[in-house]
Amino acid sequence: MSAHESEWTLRRLSAGELAATEAARVQAHAASCEACAQALRGIHEAQARFEADVPFERFEAGVEQALRRQRDAARPPPRRWVATTVAIAASLLVVVLVRPLLGSSAESGDTGGLNRLKGGATAELRIGGGLGPQREAIPGRPEAIEPGERVMLGYKAGTHRYVAALSVDAIGEVTPLHPEDGASAPVASGGRQHWLPGGWEFTGSGAERVIVVLSDEPLPQETLVEAARRAFAQADGDVERMDELEVPGAQTHWVLRKP
Amino acid sequence: MKHGGSVLGRCRYLLKDATKAEDAMHDVFARALTHGEDFRAESSPLTWLMKIATHHCLNQLRGERAGWRQWFERDAAARPEGHGGQEAMETRDLVRRLLARVDVETQAAAIHYHVDGMTLEEVAALLGRSVPTIRKRLEHFAALGGEELKVP
Repeated sequence: MSAHESEWTLRRLSAGELAATEAARVQAHAASCEACAQALRGIHEAQARFEADVPFERFEAGVEQALRRQRDAARPPPRRWVATTVAIAASLLVVVLVRPLLGSSAESGDTGGLNRLKGGATAELRIGGGLGPQREAIPGRPEAIEPGERVMLGYKAGTHRYVAALSVDAIGEVTPLHPEDGASAPVASGGRQHWLPGGWEFTGSGAERVIVVLSDEPLPQETLVEAARRAFAQADGDVERMDELEVPGAQTHWVLRKP
Repeated sequence: MKHGGSVLGRCRYLLKDATKAEDAMHDVFARALTHGEDFRAESSPLTWLMKIATHHCLNQLRGERAGWRQWFERDAAARPEGHGGQEAMETRDLVRRLLARVDVETQAAAIHYHVDGMTLEEVAALLGRSVPTIRKRLEHFAALGGEELKVP
């Protein structure tokens, strides 16, 4: 065991987070150990420098600005998504491109690769529109996407009545994809596979988690966004390690790795 | 504000850019406000903040285009945080230089263990992994570096 206290213990002492007996023991050690006393002084000095360099007003203004940034980022910012009209046009292109693939699996009755959910439901994420081949992303297996590639989301509702989609990027920004606001939308009629309108182009870099939720009741997007933020925090800010959202219904997650 | 020095130190250590570090610190405290329930439930707010700050900065570096390359090119005058004399400073610098070669979880484990001076048990609890898993990751990290990174 080290003769000195760890920096972490000294930092927690300085922050007033040690229990009284532990704090007294560490303080007593630091009083008789020059190395630890010096380390403790270093921590105090760093905090004093911080308080001198960053006055409270500037700190407060900076945090408020960050809060606004985070709130704005939770809305669908135009820079991350193709504009609606462009998205519609793009989706037509993507639909044309994916049709042969959809046809081949649907016609053969082969649903391999589709993510089966309870109640006879399935969900699917297709990538296309770029220079690379059309392909399907598999849940649990991160899929790299190239610049310019677009994503389409499909589902077979089974017994579920509502559908919603959202995404979470590498820094925890949550964006409702479908619908963009309000509550999850009623599923399209008929038991066949349906595609959500439009397509999405994910810009920026790092990982992006895409989630489709099929439910029996409409779920407000605010509820889904909050659940996604909680899951992101519970994954220690690692979007690739997020668990399922704590919401009712069946959900499918995919992880895309942007260039 | 009482944890500001520690959080800003972590952001400076990882981002090596004073302006980006201050912005990142604001982001971390903003997250503490928006996740107030989680934050208040923590027995150690400092631990929570340092975990979030570390992940936030590592994510930011990953998110930047060619981030790690730019990171290496940034002014080396960005002084590694902390104290403990020349030897400890060199270890922190070594850790920082090796980060780009490992996955994000090993990065976080190495920072909390070698820079924060947490125990294996504390790192394991913080990252939600078992002690043997953390030990394995740190041994892998040590294999890239030198004697000073060995896990006893």
